Amino acid sequence: MAADIKTRHVLLWAIFIGGMCLLPFVTTPGTLRTIIFANYLAIFAMSWDFLTGRTGYVSFGHPFLIGIGAYASAILSYRYGVPVAISIPLAVIITMIGGTLFFLPALRIRGSYFALVTLAFMELMYQLVQVIRPDITGGTRGMSGIQTITSGAFNNFYLSFALMAVIAVILWTLTRTRLGTALSAIGMNEESVRGSGLDTTKLKLFAFMVSACVAGIGGAFYVHYLGSIAPRNLFDINFLFTIIVAALIGGASTVVGPMAGAFFLTFLLEYLRPWLPGSERYFVYGAIALVLYMYQPKGLYQIIVDSLGIGKSRNKQEAAGDSAA
Amino acid sequence: MTALLEVSRLVKRFGGISAVNDLSFEVNQGESLGLIGPNGAGKTTVFSLIMGEHRQNSGTVTLAGEDLSADPTYLRIQKGVSRTYQVPRPFADINVAENIRVGLMPNSIRRMISEGPDPDAELALARSVGFAAADLEKTPGELSMGDLRKLELARTLATAPKVMLLDEVFAGLTVGEITQISDLLAEKRKEGMTYVIVSHDLRSLEPLIDRAVAMTFGHVIAEGTFREVMDNEKVRAAYLGH
Amino acid sequence: MLQVLIQGLLLSGLYSLIAVGFTLIFSVGRVLNLAYGAYLMMGAYCYFYVTQTLGIPKPIGFVLAASVGAMAGVLKYRFLVKPLKGDHVAVEISTLILAVVIQAGIVFIFNDSAKVLHPIVPGVIWVGGAAVTYNMVAATLASWAILVLLYLFVRRTHTGRAMQAVSMDAKGAALSGIDPDKVNMITWVISGILGAAAGVFFASYTQVNPSMWVAPLIIAVAVVIVGGIGSILGTLVVAHIIGFMEVISTTFIAAELRGVFTMLLIIVVLVMMPKGLFGREEL
Repeated sequence: MAADIKTRHVLLWAIFIGGMCLLPFVTTPGTLRTIIFANYLAIFAMSWDFLTGRTGYVSFGHPFLIGIGAYASAILSYRYGVPVAISIPLAVIITMIGGTLFFLPALRIRGSYFALVTLAFMELMYQLVQVIRPDITGGTRGMSGIQTITSGAFNNFYLSFALMAVIAVILWTLTRTRLGTALSAIGMNEESVRGSGLDTTKLKLFAFMVSACVAGIGGAFYVHYLGSIAPRNLFDINFLFTIIVAALIGGASTVVGPMAGAFFLTFLLEYLRPWLPGSERYFVYGAIALVLYMYQPKGLYQIIVDSLGIGKSRNKQEAAGDSAA
Repeated sequence: MTALLEVSRLVKRFGGISAVNDLSFEVNQGESLGLIGPNGAGKTTVFSLIMGEHRQNSGTVTLAGEDLSADPTYLRIQKGVSRTYQVPRPFADINVAENIRVGLMPNSIRRMISEGPDPDAELALARSVGFAAADLEKTPGELSMGDLRKLELARTLATAPKVMLLDEVFAGLTVGEITQISDLLAEKRKEGMTYVIVSHDLRSLEPLIDRAVAMTFGHVIAEGTFREVMDNEKVRAAYLGH
Repeated sequence: MLQVLIQGLLLSGLYSLIAVGFTLIFSVGRVLNLAYGAYLMMGAYCYFYVTQTLGIPKPIGFVLAASVGAMAGVLKYRFLVKPLKGDHVAVEISTLILAVVIQAGIVFIFNDSAKVLHPIVPGVIWVGGAAVTYNMVAATLASWAILVLLYLFVRRTHTGRAMQAVSMDAKGAALSGIDPDKVNMITWVISGILGAAAGVFFASYTQVNPSMWVAPLIIAVAVVIVGGIGSILGTLVVAHIIGFMEVISTTFIAAELRGVFTMLLIIVVLVMMPKGLFGREEL
């Protein structure tokens, strides 16, 4: 490994992880359950961002990937009695294979069309899951009583946090290498990356595989935490929306951003619950995300970095605007 | 002398229009060739065909005796051709050093992860095109047009080309910047670099090239020294918009 | 068989109307308005509220619905699309977020239960043993009328021709004295009106509910992708392919599968022919 990691970074990660590990001793199980959800949302948001935030290929199909992971593991363990220790790795592999097969042609398509094809995959999956072999998938109602890995908020907190932290650290380290620079460069100007002698198809495929792998892991563990699965909860624009908004609020094309965004959103939801119990909360979510996105497309992360004056004040927005024009 | 880069009977049609029509020329090792012609003559298309950004309908591109015609762009660059663009295309959100870093990267995901960047090589390349060490931290948004062209030259040089294709390197530059880039190219030539240069600025182009090829409507109309080509009847007619 | 033919024709007419407003924006503004489905929803809810809650006559409800669509178009262009300067990724993401925000806003005002719209034109006619509602016939006829008007507008009026010019070459149009900003604004208004009108008909065919924006959006997307950008002929042909596929699969295969073919069509065409079946034609 040759990543650009400084002592300061290691220290910050250690403080964050250490602090989180102490949390269960100072909060209630209720708060812990909220954090568990935040951990999974953070995994999904980081997965989305690794593809879209870096390479600039907008995925509207992440629920499709997460759904493959979740359904594969749920079906294997619930219908065929496969132990969870085997069903989850299998589900991750199925997500990566299935996802790659579907997305490979999509990587040939540029821009808006890529986003649309991924959206179509998600809707297709939603309909197919209900119609094809409902005896296996559970049809419209899905499945419940799926084996859980562990029980209690305490254990589940540590499980989900460990998962999230390991994924975050790995992805973060990857982005600090030259590979991270190359993937971001694709998002800025794909032709120039090719013009630098790099095979962009290979790079994009790699980004997608990592993204699918993380989505598969997240989906599979999530379903064994919930113990149930239903198509409308997974292959749903609201779910997609939550993932994207988490990544955007925190700051796309960073690892810390989507993570922080997921926590921010989840706690916002908790605070709003007494006043907005139903899906009206998306109104607040969305409005915040939209205003923030219009003001600073790079999210809270960039706003904090700018206001603290960390690094040189790069006129990023302007430079990006010029290259797009 | 054997030809380093050989373009042979290249044809490229867009719809019904022939942008490049039975075009052949060659460039020898260490030579500098000027490719001239009026707007729309197909010069930039020739570059795209050599780089494999567009696929020719027929004809071949050969580098040091090896046929590149079926290779994808990144492979051609690995084998030793590289180009710059009329409109520079930097990576807008990363600094000069990181821009050059992308050019220096090996085409191997494993090595991109396992090996770190080489700041010395980045600095050396930046210096070789005339950047100061302090410029490495700048982003493209902070650079002038001349600096952007220099950055593009540095990123192109980073791929260690045998032949460089330079598309309108002087466009949009101040007189001072033109001199700077000219000197730079002249210096690289002394080190043995082979060039194909497209430019509308014939005055700046003349001292940089050994030989010129004039083209219009996608095919060659004259070939020889700069003077010979410019004195050619057909070339004069083409430039006068005949 | 006759039933399939009639149902197919009626549904396809409606789908043409749904798709055309979306195509218009893609063609002239070169951006995907993923909040397009929300026009339909806003139009439908406005019509529902005005005619069934307030009891105001239907034509007024229709006009009000259309104005809501027009207003939404103006606001969306002014505050979302224009500031983002045609950055595709940003427009797609922000319009998707906007759609969910509007959906949530609708739930906030009207709660999330589905509502049934009274037929715009009540009555049923029996054709060869099949029931055909006057409502559906009216929706289809109105769709066709609107499409013809749009065609004439684009072809015959100065504004329409300016729209064509901008869709072909925005820079060139600007050089020849057309204000692309104004043309874009007009296009967003027209698209909003078309969407809202389509929403009223679509709702009278299905029902009014807060997630009713997704299905028409997918249909519009499919039509644009398969039919090619900005081709009215392509739009019509593909709307009919999708309409008939739905009716055929509902009648002969399984009602649940009707959306699957639309999705498959999108994926197959995009992968095989990135430019669509009809390529890029004039508006």
